[in-house]
Amino acid sequence: MEEAYLGIDVGSISTKGVIIGRDNDILAGEYIWTQGDPIGAVKELLRRLEGQFDKGRYQIVATGTTGSARKLVGAIVGATMVKNEITAHAVGTTTFHPDVRTILEIGGQDSKIILVENGVAVDYAMNTLCAAGTGAFLSSQAKRLGIEVEEIGAYALRSEHPTPIAARCTVFAESDLVHKIQMGHPREDIIAGVCNAVVANYLSNVGKGKKILSPVVFQGGVSKNEGVVAAFERTLGCKVIVDPNGHLMGALGVAILARKGSGRQKFDFAVENMEFRTREASCGGCSNNCEIICVYRGDKLIDSWGNRCERGAKVR
Amino acid sequence: MEEHRMVIGLPQGLLYYRYGALWQTFFNELGIETVLSGPTDRRIMDAGAALSIDEACLSLKIFLGHVAALAGRCDYVLVPRVSSFGRHRNMCTRFEALPDLTGNVFRGKGVKVLSYEVDVLSRKGEEAAFLSMAGGLGRSLREVHRAYRQAKKEDQARRKAAVRAEEQLYKSEGIKVLIAAHSYVVEDPYIGRAVTGYLKKSGVIPIRADVVDRDEALKWSQDISLTCKWEMSREIVGSVAMHEHKVDGIILLSAFPCGPDAMVNELISRRVRDVPMLNLVLDSQSGTAGVETRLESFVDIIRFKEGKL
Repeated sequence: MEEAYLGIDVGSISTKGVIIGRDNDILAGEYIWTQGDPIGAVKELLRRLEGQFDKGRYQIVATGTTGSARKLVGAIVGATMVKNEITAHAVGTTTFHPDVRTILEIGGQDSKIILVENGVAVDYAMNTLCAAGTGAFLSSQAKRLGIEVEEIGAYALRSEHPTPIAARCTVFAESDLVHKIQMGHPREDIIAGVCNAVVANYLSNVGKGKKILSPVVFQGGVSKNEGVVAAFERTLGCKVIVDPNGHLMGALGVAILARKGSGRQKFDFAVENMEFRTREASCGGCSNNCEIICVYRGDKLIDSWGNRCERGAKVR
Repeated sequence: MEEHRMVIGLPQGLLYYRYGALWQTFFNELGIETVLSGPTDRRIMDAGAALSIDEACLSLKIFLGHVAALAGRCDYVLVPRVSSFGRHRNMCTRFEALPDLTGNVFRGKGVKVLSYEVDVLSRKGEEAAFLSMAGGLGRSLREVHRAYRQAKKEDQARRKAAVRAEEQLYKSEGIKVLIAAHSYVVEDPYIGRAVTGYLKKSGVIPIRADVVDRDEALKWSQDISLTCKWEMSREIVGSVAMHEHKVDGIILLSAFPCGPDAMVNELISRRVRDVPMLNLVLDSQSGTAGVETRLESFVDIIRFKEGKL
């Protein structure tokens, strides 16, 4: 049997998974919507990965999880590596693009920039309290304009005179956009303007003060939007690379980290059919009342977290 | 009938982390009992938030929670007004407003405020400010003067020891991260220590920029800004300038929404360019996931850089 490694990236909007071999070759890859149910999404993801995967030839010996539900999903699949998405993306991207200097990432609810020197991440920034210019903004504007979010790119590329749209803040961008629609600007131009606004917003919030050097790799759900890619290229004045596997990069990164890590645990697809449930408990050990999340497989508690001190351990 | 002995309540928020030792020794020397509000916890934070307007910063909310915790447990709650130490040496307006604000929030709620006013720009120094409390405390000027002198000595000795210990940390082996934050943020047991605790658990040595030789820091601060007008920000800015080459990363830790930090942290991130820097803003959200993700990835970046990941 050859060794294989599983990486799962559970974000707020989408759930991604890959199985890689010893040389980071992709044996299976899948991308589905989380739909507010990370446990259900992961089971569905595993079912699909299992279908693509030659179980007679390979055995998964290490599993990594990343994304905002990494802890929860890590407990369920018995992960040997649980890592934040920034590290996972940096590792994944530098593995497939060793000469990359700047990684741009715009996801459903957050956006990041990672600066790389000699294949090593040296600096990063993430949007702080504001979700301006993320995928959620694009999909709500698409809805307002009556088109599918997937169509934005094609519309934007047809525009010759993008409408200027206030980019500093989503709320202003939105009211500006409504105003421009009513003024009679063509839809293509407005959509191209929205793409420009996303880029301007990203560069002035997340990319603020960072030196963006080429080669630039663009990732996250929004990288599938050619309109935003074109706007980045125009603004930065350099080529922006969109990896065909860009949407899987976090999962790839954490699979690679799992491969490099020391933890080994044979993975069993039987997880798909197991019953998991979570329960929130209030510790009550002191007036902090920590919210503790307990994860059960059947009736057995397999993990818990959220307590600030050891007292919480008793609650489980 | 036994004589009632006066009890002074010290709220453990905001300036407590700057003057706590001074206050305690001062009242001890006068034979006046003090009572502390206790370490910040969820209950104190929630109580403070309920008493505040939304726009108040998290640290002010926490402070009001501490005052509430002292209600009924003391005769007076000490809330000084500290507004300036000289030219370009101001305090945030919150500290100017604090006694009035506290008095108004707790009007009719069993909290009496004891205050003193330090405003060097208006020729009101700290010593005179302490002497002004003599009448209210029922002590002679001489007694108060002696107690203040003693307290000042004790405070300076303690601070010196703390600075010496912190300076030692810069020489220790391992990954060192400088935390640029107000004392009342980084030292707060509920909000700040969650951050330093997480760093320690990850094998990183957190070092506090606010624990620094203040005179030295004020001098160094001119490397970064000549006109920064907030005293405590200036100390932190100076400490960053002093230590930026002795650490592997800097965390700008701020309680939302902080006016001075909004400007000063931006200034620091523009002037200090060759050290990895994380801008972390704490608010009253109970979830620590966002904070942990940012801290974990920041530590990873540093380890990456040193080839240790």
